[in-house]
Amino acid sequence: MSLVERLVDDLKPLGGKPAEFKRMVSVTVDSEHIVAAINTVKDAGFEMLSDIFGIDYLQYPQHQGKRFSVAYNLYSISANERIFIRVNVDDGDVLPTITHLWKGASFMEREVYDMFGIAFDGHPDLRKLITPEDLEGHPHRKDFPIGETPTLFNDGRFIDPAAFRAGLTGQDAGLSGHQGGMRRGYSQDIDMPAPNIEANTNRANPNKEGK
Amino acid sequence: MALQDLFEKDVQELENEGILFSSLEKLVAWGRSNSLWPATFGLACCAIEMMQSTNSRNDLARFGSEVFRASPRQSDVMIVAGRLSKKMAPVMRRVYDQMPDPKWVISMGACASSGGMFNNYAIVQNVDSVVPVDIFVPGCPPRPEALVYAVMQLQKKVRGEAFDQQGIELPMVEGWKA
Amino acid sequence: MTVKKPDDFGAETTAEQIMVQPGVTVTDLPSASEFETKLMRLNVGPQHPSTHGVLRVVVDLDGETVKRIVPQIGYLHTGFEKTMEHRTYQQGVTYSNRMDYLHGFGHDLAYVLAVEKLLDAQVPVRAQQVRVILNELNRIASHLVFFGTGILDMGALTLFFYTMREREQIIDLFEMVCGVRMNYGYFRVGGLSRDIPDGFVDAAKQFVASFPKMIEQYRGMFAKNDIFVNRTKGVGVLSRETALDYGLTGPSLRASGVNLDFRKTQPYSGYENYDFDVPTSSKGDVNARFMVRLEEMTESLKIVEQALDALEPGPVKDPDRRISLPPRQELETSMEAVIFHFKLATEGFHPPRGEVYVPTESARGELGYYLVSDGGSMPYRVKVRVPSLINLQSLEPACLDGVFADMVANIASLDPVMGDVDK
Repeated sequence: MSLVERLVDDLKPLGGKPAEFKRMVSVTVDSEHIVAAINTVKDAGFEMLSDIFGIDYLQYPQHQGKRFSVAYNLYSISANERIFIRVNVDDGDVLPTITHLWKGASFMEREVYDMFGIAFDGHPDLRKLITPEDLEGHPHRKDFPIGETPTLFNDGRFIDPAAFRAGLTGQDAGLSGHQGGMRRGYSQDIDMPAPNIEANTNRANPNKEGK
Repeated sequence: MALQDLFEKDVQELENEGILFSSLEKLVAWGRSNSLWPATFGLACCAIEMMQSTNSRNDLARFGSEVFRASPRQSDVMIVAGRLSKKMAPVMRRVYDQMPDPKWVISMGACASSGGMFNNYAIVQNVDSVVPVDIFVPGCPPRPEALVYAVMQLQKKVRGEAFDQQGIELPMVEGWKA
Repeated sequence: MTVKKPDDFGAETTAEQIMVQPGVTVTDLPSASEFETKLMRLNVGPQHPSTHGVLRVVVDLDGETVKRIVPQIGYLHTGFEKTMEHRTYQQGVTYSNRMDYLHGFGHDLAYVLAVEKLLDAQVPVRAQQVRVILNELNRIASHLVFFGTGILDMGALTLFFYTMREREQIIDLFEMVCGVRMNYGYFRVGGLSRDIPDGFVDAAKQFVASFPKMIEQYRGMFAKNDIFVNRTKGVGVLSRETALDYGLTGPSLRASGVNLDFRKTQPYSGYENYDFDVPTSSKGDVNARFMVRLEEMTESLKIVEQALDALEPGPVKDPDRRISLPPRQELETSMEAVIFHFKLATEGFHPPRGEVYVPTESARGELGYYLVSDGGSMPYRVKVRVPSLINLQSLEPACLDGVFADMVANIASLDPVMGDVDK
């Protein structure tokens, strides 16, 4: 049994739910057991903490469960194996810090806090890392706008990127609703409006896609 | 720029008698244009190309930019090389304010001139909104030759030979302030 | 202890007493520990010639000794990850190389490998070989900048011009291939955008033949120089445990004794076919970090040589039309090609749902893109595991209780690139 398989068994009593995708193993635990789980992983021979990062599943299609997921990317140099420990948190939840296990977790947890707003209890210096001090909000959240400035051209035209992109993501029908709907992964569920054929006489017929 | 172009009608006199007349403004502008010392303000990728413009192949030093002064108080021109993030903008304004007059700014690259490919919450979309820019250099990153050309255009502007978009002649830099 | 006033200065003063100021001799001064001193807080940067970009460091100094050091970053934050969520997968290649602009091909490769893992794309052998050649040449170019600016930070200007001369040769090769000197847009998901031009292999072989002499020239210029050795030997020592504790990766970790190179442990893009060593050192000081990178240039050159010899003619793109654009000749005859072209150019391909991570070895350490795909044509979340941000944490243990001038050497030796740090 490989190191990772043994570890998955060791993590089961802590509530670990394993998952595998394309030879990448990830184990999801609850936030109460996260420090114990990572301690187990470190004692099993995973010397290196590669990364800690967050994912905001707010706009992920058909997502059930809590909004955020924090993943710990751990690597074992001696055994050449990698495991991801994940924990699902909601907005406003606080996770315990692991800076006592690896001092290198300091910047990583600060970045998660800065970008997502997930605080880490016990962190020696929890404050913003990369964004300016006067920026309020957490940029990598999905409800934080990208903040595009309209582009002014020399002849006075304005192109508003937000409206252009809304057409692409399907919030606005745009040139053809078909093109908008396909951008965001809703290919199976959206009932797309028929394209306006008269306006697009020069384009290849979008209905003739190999679906 | 040859001595002949600066003092055209006096060249005969110079060659015959060994004496020439000019205005102090022209002379000072000529001197200033040929010794523009940049302040190091390399931010991102364009800074590497700015460094490359000082290497032996594209030698910026032959245009007078012999040294890149670390201290802004000893420099004439600030080459904003790279994307200016909103956190860095007040720092850049302070560095610009520390430069003594007369000073110029070259905005190097697409990101400094217009935000480039980064149209988002973090990048200042035009450095002109923070400091007054004299020369914009397009490119991502601009070749060192482009930066050298920009310095040459700035030299022309300093000497008063530059024209803006309407064709109005831009004023020469002041020789002294009364 | 009494401090003699100038008027008290009597005739019993002998020549052995060193005069510091009239009336006060050195033997009378109290030692520094008897003074009540405060630490001086000094702000270094973000605009400073010796901080490799916009790095701000706040140091608390006791005289010249560094007692506390806190790097403040974020002055080049560009919001790459959020911006890449609003661009298609193929457009992400324009963004990835602007993060670590010195090893742009490393970032391109890491991103493209991650997307290809999601898609299960088959990259042809020739494309993999060209990718390896360009990646290793870029690693050499990045190390050349490291040496040039590192030694420049220590006060020597000459080596900068020598390394920039070599870097210009490498950049000429890149310009031959992709038309750009820096910030390339050459890799595509599924292979390369186009095949390499005819003269490239000969020019690259010429460079490979001429470069080892230059490495020896650099070694002769600084490796035994007394000033360099005194400034770097024993300075900023990071033990193996400290390095692993702080998450250090890359040549700096290998200089601390840990033999970890992702090109060897988890080979990608055909690295398992090349024969090269991974230089390590056990000393962990600044000198070791410099020397490890010098040896790495030789090893990279070996890889380039082997890859150049192994090049065989063939396709450079994944033939799957759902990923790669069809060749232009096909557009004249085939309707399906036109449709595929239209879909790919306007909307982009749709990888299946999932999350992938591919670790690669950039010139600075472990680099990986964690991609979350929701089935759309734009990535849902791109997380870049950047080496420089994590490596920068090691600045603290390296600089503590050292002299302020050593801090400059330490920053130079850790090789942070601020575009990489701030993303």
